Amino acid sequence: MQSTPISLLSRDRVSGLIFLLVCLIYGYQATQIQLFPGDEYEAFTARTLPYLLTVAGIVMSLLLIVMSPASPCNDSTCEQQGANESRLDWRLLSSFVVLMTAYGLGLTWLGFVLATSLFLLGGFWLLGERRKAVLLGASFPFVTLFWLLLTKVLDIYLEPGYLFLSF
Amino acid sequence: MLDGILAGLATAVMPTNLMMVMVGCFVGTFIGMLPGLGPISAIALMIPITYGLDPSSGMILMAGVYYGAIFGGSTSSILINAPGCSSTVVTAFDGYPMAKKGQAGKALALAAYASFTGGTLSAIMLLIAAPALAKVSLSFQSSDYFSLMLVGLSAVAAFAGKGQVLKAWMMTILGLMLSTVGIDKGIGVERFTFGLTDLMDGFSFLLLAMATFALGEILFTILKPEPDTSAEESSALSDIGSMKVTKEEIKEVAPVAIRSSFLGFFVGVLPGAGATIAAFLSYGLERNLAPKDKRDEFGKGSIRGLVAPEAANNAASSGSFVPLLTLGIPGSGTTAIMLGALISYGIQPGPRLFVDNPEIFWSVIISMYFGNVVLMVLNLPLIPYIAKLLAVPRTVLLPMIIFFSITGVYLVSFNTVDVFIMILVAVIAIFLRLATFPLAPLLLGFILGGLMEENLRRSLMISDGELSFLWERPITLTFTVISALVLITPILLTAFNRRRAKKTVFVDDCD
Repeated sequence: MQSTPISLLSRDRVSGLIFLLVCLIYGYQATQIQLFPGDEYEAFTARTLPYLLTVAGIVMSLLLIVMSPASPCNDSTCEQQGANESRLDWRLLSSFVVLMTAYGLGLTWLGFVLATSLFLLGGFWLLGERRKAVLLGASFPFVTLFWLLLTKVLDIYLEPGYLFLSF
Repeated sequence: MLDGILAGLATAVMPTNLMMVMVGCFVGTFIGMLPGLGPISAIALMIPITYGLDPSSGMILMAGVYYGAIFGGSTSSILINAPGCSSTVVTAFDGYPMAKKGQAGKALALAAYASFTGGTLSAIMLLIAAPALAKVSLSFQSSDYFSLMLVGLSAVAAFAGKGQVLKAWMMTILGLMLSTVGIDKGIGVERFTFGLTDLMDGFSFLLLAMATFALGEILFTILKPEPDTSAEESSALSDIGSMKVTKEEIKEVAPVAIRSSFLGFFVGVLPGAGATIAAFLSYGLERNLAPKDKRDEFGKGSIRGLVAPEAANNAASSGSFVPLLTLGIPGSGTTAIMLGALISYGIQPGPRLFVDNPEIFWSVIISMYFGNVVLMVLNLPLIPYIAKLLAVPRTVLLPMIIFFSITGVYLVSFNTVDVFIMILVAVIAIFLRLATFPLAPLLLGFILGGLMEENLRRSLMISDGELSFLWERPITLTFTVISALVLITPILLTAFNRRRAKKTVFVDDCD
């Protein structure tokens, strides 16, 4: 009879281990919180809640590690899980994360209008939009109108980008 | 109390606030119709806008968005079987079969009438229950508050869903941990700041809410692309058939709507239970109460099956405002965001809200009712037009929503570091979602963390460091026992079920 291979590191157990690590780091950092002289006689200090949370967190993560079942990996649920995961578009997500990070940098260097327009243009492009009218029409004019609304109607000051400050 | 109601009414009927209700309902309906985005995302997206408003207007706008989003979720459930949020999943059971039979208009009208009934009855119940509870809670002390918060946090975790209880607790603890970052308000020392000035004030509530529920949701949609249903939804809405409901049908569903409204309201009042559980419970109840021939129609386009969850989820939404407004304990992720917004305004929800800011307390309750009227009188006939907005392709819509999420945070702090933290939190939220960790308890823990620590500090100081404060007062003892039961029961049940399952497997193997 063929035996079922069992992976001891199921997703829940890995999550439990990561959470345990987070709790341990948090607990260590809690010991570094400054105490004032005489605090050792106080019923409650700045460290009290962090200590309680560390203990609770460690107990919870251990419970998750112990209670979550090991995952047998040749049944239909695993195939289903694998199929679901293969449908995840990590490349597109990563591209968006890079685009958003660039947008964050662009806000400082290029200013609101240019950075936002380029961000929207890039976002439309990444999602497969290729019509020039949409690419350009829904980015630059829209952002300009939004900028006018913010600066002229709502009177919000938006700092120009560093690149334009020298001009 | 009458003075308070009149002050609330005066605030609610101010032209600005009436406009807020209408705008909130429209925007909420639109966002709620987008598959994948529910009330919590809709409200998160609204927070930056409400920062510029006075507290009453801000809360009224958010309440309008809440109702609108639930209504919008029902619309997409009925028309294309794509619920915008979990509380409208049940609506699709019978709403979608009705739409397939060519009765989409009737289904939408019935859903709107049911929501209206749920909203009306629950507003009346809220009017009675909230002040009564607020008066009782005026006698609460720090220890009562601390134990009450324990009940709130443990209940939210307990209702998290099968197999998720432990994970919900972990998320609550993570939220509490995040709330301890920054300068400790009681003692004034830095905690977990790593010397970074950006972390001195702790994490911003706005940033966390937007990152997890607005940006995180959209990025998850990008990661897990669903077929673009905007064209389908738009075409489904262009011909929805007649919206007429016959007298016989109204007679048949009226008792269903009334029963479900009461059930929904009381479920909504329970911290953590919320609209989804209310919708499922009322659907189950009505199926059991229905005569044999009508029971067989459930799942195939029964009007009872459509009305029950719609009335219940709307009533539960109002019900969830009871613990928020009277005790300062949010009963759901959505009301947790509202609590955070209120705290940002410098208003402490709880029994004192009823005394100190009666105009906010009452105007929110009254405008909820206005929201229901707006949804039925204005939104329902305008559904085909709102649908035109859905024709905007997702290739354009998604980057726009990301832009609004990021800009919402940036325009409050003007600090690009917040944008980077937001992206990081959103990415972590995606991994947490993939590992099936619920995110609402995280936000709840984060929001209640500061209040909880403050009340624990006071209780321990008063009791001279003894834990006896947990059982000295009857109210505290009651809440402590409830939270202990809520905490322990799911673990015992899981362990018991696993043991039984193992036994069964063993017997099967023997066979």
